[in-house]
Amino acid sequence: MDVELKAITKRFGAVVANKDVTLQVRAGEVLGLLGENGAGKSTLMNVLCGLYRPDEGQIVINGTPVQFTNPGDAIAAGIGMVHQHFMLVPVFTVAENVVLGVEPVGRLNHLDLKTASAKVREISARYGLTVDPDALIETLPVGVQQRVEIIKVLFRSADVLILDEPTAVLTPQEVEDFFGIVRSLRDAGKAIIFITHKLNEILEIADRISVLRAGRIVGESDPATATKADLAEVMVGRPVHFEVDRSGAAPGDAMLVIKDLTVLRDDNTIAVDNVSLTVRGGEVLGIAGVQGNGQSALIQAITGLMPAARGTIRFLGQDITHASVRARHKLGLAHIPEDRQRMGLIPDFTVAENMVLDSYYDPRYARGPQVQWDAVNQWAATAAAAFDVRTTSVFAKAGHLSGGNQQKLIVARELSRDTKAVIAAQPTRGLDVGSIEYIHSRLMAARAEGDAVLIMSSELDEILALSDRIVVMFKGRIVAEFDANVEKPEKSQIGLAMAGVAA
Amino acid sequence: MQFHRTFRRLSLPLALFLAAPASAFTACQITDTGGIDDNSFNQTAWRGVLDAEDQLGVSGRYLESEAETDYEANINSLLGGACDIIFTIGFLLGDATQSAAEANPDQMFSIVDFAYDPPLPNVLGQVYATDQAAFLAGYLAAGMTQTGILGTFGGINIPPVTVFMDGFVYGAEYYNDRHGTDVTVLGWSPETREGLFTNNFESLDDGRAFAQNLYDEGADIVLPVAGPVGLGSAALANELGVDELMIIGVDADLYETDPERGHVYLTSVVKRMDATVYQVIERAMAGDFSGGVITGTLENGGVDIAPLHDFEAAVPAELMAELDEIRAGITDGSIMIGGQ
Amino acid sequence: MSVNESLDAARDKLLQRAAPDRTEFEDLVIVPLFAFAVALILGAVTMLATGVDLATIGRSYVALLVGSVGSVNALSETLVAAIPLVLAGLGLALGFRAGLFNIGAEGQILMGGLAAVIFGFTFSALPFVILMPLSLLAGALTGAFYAGIAGWLRAATGAHEVISTIMLNLISYRLLDYMLSLPWVQREGRADPVSRSVPDAAELPRLLEWLDPNLRLHAGVFVMLLAVAFVYWLLFRTKLGFEFRASGASPDAARYAGMHASLIIVIAMATAGALAGLAGANQVLGVLGRATPGFSAGIGFDAIAVALLGRSHPIGVLFAGLLFGALQAGGRQMQVDAGVGIDLIGIIQALVIVFIAAPLLVRAIFPWGFRNRQKGTHQ
Repeated sequence: MDVELKAITKRFGAVVANKDVTLQVRAGEVLGLLGENGAGKSTLMNVLCGLYRPDEGQIVINGTPVQFTNPGDAIAAGIGMVHQHFMLVPVFTVAENVVLGVEPVGRLNHLDLKTASAKVREISARYGLTVDPDALIETLPVGVQQRVEIIKVLFRSADVLILDEPTAVLTPQEVEDFFGIVRSLRDAGKAIIFITHKLNEILEIADRISVLRAGRIVGESDPATATKADLAEVMVGRPVHFEVDRSGAAPGDAMLVIKDLTVLRDDNTIAVDNVSLTVRGGEVLGIAGVQGNGQSALIQAITGLMPAARGTIRFLGQDITHASVRARHKLGLAHIPEDRQRMGLIPDFTVAENMVLDSYYDPRYARGPQVQWDAVNQWAATAAAAFDVRTTSVFAKAGHLSGGNQQKLIVARELSRDTKAVIAAQPTRGLDVGSIEYIHSRLMAARAEGDAVLIMSSELDEILALSDRIVVMFKGRIVAEFDANVEKPEKSQIGLAMAGVAA
Repeated sequence: MQFHRTFRRLSLPLALFLAAPASAFTACQITDTGGIDDNSFNQTAWRGVLDAEDQLGVSGRYLESEAETDYEANINSLLGGACDIIFTIGFLLGDATQSAAEANPDQMFSIVDFAYDPPLPNVLGQVYATDQAAFLAGYLAAGMTQTGILGTFGGINIPPVTVFMDGFVYGAEYYNDRHGTDVTVLGWSPETREGLFTNNFESLDDGRAFAQNLYDEGADIVLPVAGPVGLGSAALANELGVDELMIIGVDADLYETDPERGHVYLTSVVKRMDATVYQVIERAMAGDFSGGVITGTLENGGVDIAPLHDFEAAVPAELMAELDEIRAGITDGSIMIGGQ
Repeated sequence: MSVNESLDAARDKLLQRAAPDRTEFEDLVIVPLFAFAVALILGAVTMLATGVDLATIGRSYVALLVGSVGSVNALSETLVAAIPLVLAGLGLALGFRAGLFNIGAEGQILMGGLAAVIFGFTFSALPFVILMPLSLLAGALTGAFYAGIAGWLRAATGAHEVISTIMLNLISYRLLDYMLSLPWVQREGRADPVSRSVPDAAELPRLLEWLDPNLRLHAGVFVMLLAVAFVYWLLFRTKLGFEFRASGASPDAARYAGMHASLIIVIAMATAGALAGLAGANQVLGVLGRATPGFSAGIGFDAIAVALLGRSHPIGVLFAGLLFGALQAGGRQMQVDAGVGIDLIGIIQALVIVFIAAPLLVRAIFPWGFRNRQKGTHQ
């Protein structure tokens, strides 16, 4: 089935989300739709799947113009969307979730789950999805849940699949499996629109690439010839530097010294097992590892959010093993937390309130029991301007900012004071290229000022780009260490260590 | 004061517009927290007003109290000339009635179950020698019990409640004296003034639980003195069957007002508030209202025990004869309740 | 230099407050108004269904208006009913802001009121200027202590405050019964649980007695207004309030920011309890003059609705409390003038809450007054 979007324009009040967008996807190909957050990708796809009606332009399927008044029309026409956030009932089985809304019924109107299971099994086998129709959703890993979403649209006989940022929630291994599935769907003659802002992925999976910026199509390219840098420039609108300048490494004194640290989870299992490491001033230490191997617990123990069961943590010569979060903060420990929505900021609070989330008590902002909101607002505006946080005002709710701007807000809050060490966990996860570049430059600036910088990331590229030294964690232990300033380690070497294969 | 009078003048036409078909005399009633449809206390008093509506052509209104904080407010909202007389139903309204009566000396009040000492000139108290009727009920119950154990419990430990329990206990003791039996009454001791109380006049659950406790201790006849709370006890008796548990009603003849479970009531200790309320309205209309107290007794029919209805055949004739004898004895003063 | 200038310009722009959001205005003002209207209409339908004729329904709604705002006495009664609702509602709102669902206002009211009464008659020799404020304070502190128990249980053991406050309510009922029967608390010559009366010097003076001795409005109205101002200041102007709000909006973020979660829970519960205790003290010192078993009269539960209706904002709580007070006072007049039962007032109150809790429903019923929204807001 071939689908064409012709000169689509969609406005929300005065805001033009899509302007004159023309796009084509044919059966048996993967169209990569590339664009930064807020470029209008999701709006465009919501037009295609019937959620929004275009103000101008039309949708043409197999040469016939069609009009969708609701999502049901689009589904009937064979267009299915797999959303970034799954829409599954956790306590239902796979089969129950798949048939939800289009339940097959047998005689006397009873729910025919047997037929449903059989159908799910058949779809699963045909495209190599390997999903057990009788498993409960809540017991399945995220990668498998995503396959359930795909089965859902296939069950509704979709010939055009829209995949909205499908890899955002997946681990690197899951991404590989997922690409295999996408290829088998393509080879089965489905038309696929793959939405992402990740350049590596689009180059790997897409047959053609369209780039969207500020609501318009600004370029089309062939993945066989395009380079990352070209695509990034088209997407962002200016040249982007992927290489971080790490020249002038001048490691100073040891500032953060961790010795024999053991951290237990709530259920008393070991999360961090006897770890020792040292971070010097003016150097970046990267912690690599597959998610769930104790990196998060290590970071939380350093910042005071999890207690140390054994061992010591020394910062600037002081023993902070049992110090409070606030005491560590006052010593100059900055923490960019892993989960920015849940921990790093309060979406319901204003930008200004979030800017002082961990320093509202400071004499600069408080007198007696009162917070001096004028001083807070002044400072928040200064910091927001200096760190390029794009918001209408400091009184806007932080939850209304884009992910990149939320992260810049957190970085502004943590780095705009006199810091001695910066602990950054997943500092750029889910962000667009422009924000990643900006945050990387800020972290390197902290390094240049002589701070000790500790970075934990599941993006190996990020670790490699930023770190002076790299340690790999596996099952709570440090299993490998590399000094990038001596010799740049190979990705495969680190990958093996991450998988627990001794280096 | 000037301001208020002006205001009153202004609101008068509005009030006339709002008022139901005008009638020469308006009697108003404020219930306690049991509500107007409690099958006993408030409902009986309200029947007096309804009777007066039928026979004397007055118009009646009532106002239900949801909480004790409402008493004063409810009285206040009936002030201002709309009511010729205000009935406040229950001992617990004593304080609120007193302060309203003192602040509004031209308004006629009548309160059930409260006698002011010294009397207020514009409040007529209606009190009842309930112990006389309860004495008969206690005697009857002592004659009817199979287990030799009777039970009682009250709503709140206030005189208009405990007077029932006094009479009930003394009646049973009198039966013991005459027949040499050893019937005991659980739940109240006239000497120590202590006993079982639910501390509310609302909870049917409490009524059930308290009756269950007494039943578990062997009682087969229970007198709940707590307005609608007793309906919960009746529900229990209904489930157990009258061979296991009988209930003695209070205030009204519950055989009549609670017909679904009428068969569980051995009798009821009737407090004819309807009669006294009616009497007070008559007096007020005739213009000879004055402060003080009217007392309902066995002699003037203000209190009594209800007919036995379904139990008529079950109660031996000689026990009935003894009851008549005692009734005469109380009336002529030869039997002193509590042995005074 | 030019970089600095452009930064300054950007900064100044960020400091400009956006005009109040139209949607916010609709949610705060128009939705409640329409919700109230729908509730009245459905209330009328309910009355029709129970066989009340149209003329009586009309009369009862006129009575509702007259009885709540139609006279000095009506306004006085509305305020008297609103005072404890607003005070306890403020405490609950503060708890909600801090992420604590306190169901225990009823028990805190009882304990606070009892303490105020006992303090009042025990130190009856003190002059008014000392005794009255100290009696109020005794109520507030006792309420704070009683709620603090639930807070401490939550902070120290993780016992959920919904359960523990409900249980503390049950304890308070029986504790009150018991205390009221103690010889040094019980009124002389009474066998039922009723406390001694508080001396005049402990009472919140009635404000309008010079106008008419039946007007019950008392000085508690000032306590109420002060409390509204205080809670506003506490929540939005102080460090502690910032911590309350942060803990309520996101416990993880509060922990990350170095806030002391368990201490905040205890302080927030205690502050909420103090306000509920103050509500109880107001009832006994301003209205009843004594304590009896039922004096809380469900205010602690109505206050939950008041706090929710007021969106946990002090000003909102004030208006919600006034609305509930007006319904209570007007409901009484409905009974008097139209003979409509008090149960109907309960139905209307419940309907108001249902519709305010469902703004989309109200928007669907009333297309007017709301700016037309594009299908699906833009991201």
